[in-house]
Parts: sequence; structure tokens; C-alpha cells
Amino acid sequence: MITLTNIHKTFGKQEVLKGIDLTVEQGDVVAILGPSGSGKTTLLRCVNFLERADEGEVQISGLTVDCKHARKHDIVQLRRKTAMVFQHYNLFKHKTVLDNVTEGLIIAQKMSKADARTRALRVLEQVGLSAKINEYPSMLSGGQQQRVGIARALALNPEVILFDEPTSALDPELVGEVLSVIRSIAQEGITMIVVTHEMGFAREVANRVVFMDGGSVVEEGTPEEVFVRPKQERTRQFLSRYSSDWSYVI
Amino acid sequence: MSIDLHFIYTSFFQILKALPLTLVITIVPLIAGFGIGLATALIRIYRVRWIHRIAEFYVSFLRGTPMLMHLFLIYYGIPMIIDKLAERYGWAFQSSSIPILVFVLIAFSLTAGAYMSEIIRSGILAVDIGQMEAAHAVGMSTFQALRRIIIPQAIGAVLPNLCSMFVGFLHGSTLAFTVSQMDILGKADVVASVSLKFLEAFIAAAFIYWGLTIIAERITALLERRVAVYSKGGVS
Repeated sequence: MITLTNIHKTFGKQEVLKGIDLTVEQGDVVAILGPSGSGKTTLLRCVNFLERADEGEVQISGLTVDCKHARKHDIVQLRRKTAMVFQHYNLFKHKTVLDNVTEGLIIAQKMSKADARTRALRVLEQVGLSAKINEYPSMLSGGQQQRVGIARALALNPEVILFDEPTSALDPELVGEVLSVIRSIAQEGITMIVVTHEMGFAREVANRVVFMDGGSVVEEGTPEEVFVRPKQERTRQFLSRYSSDWSYVI
Repeated sequence: MSIDLHFIYTSFFQILKALPLTLVITIVPLIAGFGIGLATALIRIYRVRWIHRIAEFYVSFLRGTPMLMHLFLIYYGIPMIIDKLAERYGWAFQSSSIPILVFVLIAFSLTAGAYMSEIIRSGILAVDIGQMEAAHAVGMSTFQALRRIIIPQAIGAVLPNLCSMFVGFLHGSTLAFTVSQMDILGKADVVASVSLKFLEAFIAAAFIYWGLTIIAERITALLERRVAVYSKGGVS
């Protein structure tokens, strides 16, 4: 359903993605893991052209866009099949919670205001924020803001939701509420690609795990395969930091 | 010589009759300048092919020369161009039929546009890049994102600067006096010439400008409070 073919991306002299191929089926929850600088966030941003790959092809449910020659119109069409949840939430600061969710529906999808409102109220209830619809983002906690971000993505009814380290900017105490919302929408069969450092979450919620390092996919498979029986030495090394409790002394 | 306090009072109301013209000379250029400034700022930020060089020249030249000079350049320059063109193409139109006020408004609009473009540009650049990314991610085109998300936030951020532009241009509007416009200062001069009480008339005029400035500051404070609803405080 989503196919990335031979994605290359270079920033200056640094080759960040070295020809990535990835296929995601409908209903998949794909977790992308890897150390900082492995290119996982860049790969995710190449899917909706927030980052334009130098080479390669992005295909989402019948729409194929060549990264090198994509025109503005193609990019907008592709983006309308996706939604994204950002590490720093990126809520529209000057709009209330409700308007944050309806904005894309009314402006991009040309939905009527009444329909947009109905849908927004439904998804905001789903993320547990019905009481906050008239607040501005600056009045919410990080966890609440990120749940608005998820509601905004969910309301668009996209083919896939892209999560870019959705809990990395949160207080440890607030991570749980966001993860449980993501878990609940994963169970509804919504296709998701999640870049994350939450190993436990990836293992529990994802049905496929992709481990990246140095701009390439090192290993991919079911959570079982990657976490319990990793084939590559590099994967084992990476995971050991999360499983062995104290491998260093302060 | 002593000050005739009563004359300050009576001339105040005589001079106040020129208020509409002063407001026109202040507000029309600010509105036109806002449009010019917004367009110029966007052209420069997006480096639109070769137009952005023209925009850069425009901002640099107008900010680098006095406002009074813009008025003179337009006031003397445009009629000459129009008359030359009329002569060449045989139009019956004469530049002398254009009210002087039009030249004043054109000149000050160009001045305001140059200053506002820098203010608006700084506002747009101050908006977090994540806002544009989020707008793109929900499927908006760049134009939609600018109109709905980026520009409203940018304007909110530079509101105090835009309001101080109002004060600057209110005071700057007195330059129109040099091309014989009957604004508040012009009217004060006429009232003074008749009665020969110059100091009193100009004190009365000063009070009008001061009052207008205070009103502008109040309105600014009110607008800022509205913006502060979303921009201040909160937790992350």
C-alpha cells in the first residue's frame, strides 16, 4: 500500500539515506528504530515530502511520485493521503484546540464547517480532550498538546499517520498518556509508521520493526525477530543498551 | 509677551477641523503600505526570481533616504513623467488636474511599504518553521499555509511595531504641509498667521497630536492583550 523505493538523501556532503526500500501494508504499525543520526526521521519526512529525497519514488495507495521530478501539485496530493505527528507537536499556536483539528479539514479537504466540527469533536473525545476544545495550545501540558496533535492527524482520515518521535519531548510522567492513545488507535487498524526510542512500546504495539543505522536498513522483521533473535551484530549491540540495566557506572 | 491661554482653547477647535485630512494622510499610506510591505517581504523571503532584487533595491533606497525627500521626488517627478507621456502620445490629460493629496498619499505609501516590509519580514521569519511543516502535513498548499497560519502569527508578533509605525506616520504626516496641505499643522499655521499668536496655535496643535498618539497607544495595548491570549504563558 505504501512503497518507498530506493530513497536517497544527502545533506551537504553527508549521505543520510543510502537507498532505502520499505513497504508498508494496510493496517501495519511499523516502528523504525535506530541511533541518533541513523536517518530514521529523515526517512519519515521523505514520505510526505517535508524533506525532498534526491532520488527514489514514493507510492501511496495508487499515487506514485518520483522524488526528483515531483511537482507542487503531486506533493500536495501525496500529503493529503498522509498525516503527521511531530516531536514538538507543532500545533497552530494562534488557534484553539478545536480549530487546530478542523483547520486541515476545512482548508485542505474543503469539508463544510459543520462536518469538520462534528469529526473534530469525535476525535478529540477519542484522545480524551473533550473538555479542552476552546483552549489555546499554550495552556495545555505537553502530553495534552501531543494528544491534540494526534487528534489533528486522525481527523484527516489519512492512509497513513507518520509519527516522528512523538514522546521524545515529553516529561517521563506524560509519556504514558500519549503512548496509550497511540496504542488505542493502532488497535483500530490505522496504518502507522512510528519513529521512536520507546523500545517497549515498539515491541508491544508494532507488528513490524525496522532497525536503521548509518542511512541504511540493517534489519527488519516482526518484533519477535528483531528484539528476541536479532540476526545482525549491530542490532544486538544497539538493543543491549536498552535491555542490560547497568552497563556503566556513574 | 504672555501666553493667551484662552486662544489655545479656541484655536484648538478651529485646528481640529483639519483632523480628517491628517487621518487620511496617516492611515491611507499605512493601509497601502501594509499591502506593499507584505508583498515585498514575501518576495524577498521566497527570493522570487529577479523581482527580489527590485524589492531589495526598493527597501534599501527608501529606508536609506528621508521621508520628506520621497514626497519631493514623487511631487516633482510624477507630474513631469505624466506630462512628457501626454505630450508624446497626444493625451489631453494634464498633471495639474491631479490633486496634490494624491502625490502625498503615493509618496507616503511607498515609504510605509519599505518600513513595513522589514517589520513583516522579521515577523514571518520569527514564526517557527514547524508551523509551516504542520500546515503542509495537514495538506495545505504553501499559499494556504501562509494565509491561514504563518501571516496571522507573524502579524501578531510584530503588532507593537506596526502600531508604532502609526505614531511615526501620524507625526510624519506633517511633512505634507510642505506641499501646502491643510492638515493639522497647516491649519495651525493659518490660524496663527491670522491672529499672530503662533505659539498658542502650535501648542493647540501639539495637544491634538499628543491626544491621537495616546489613543493609538491604548488601542495597541488592547490589541496586544488579544494576541497575548495565545502567545504568552502556558507549559510545554
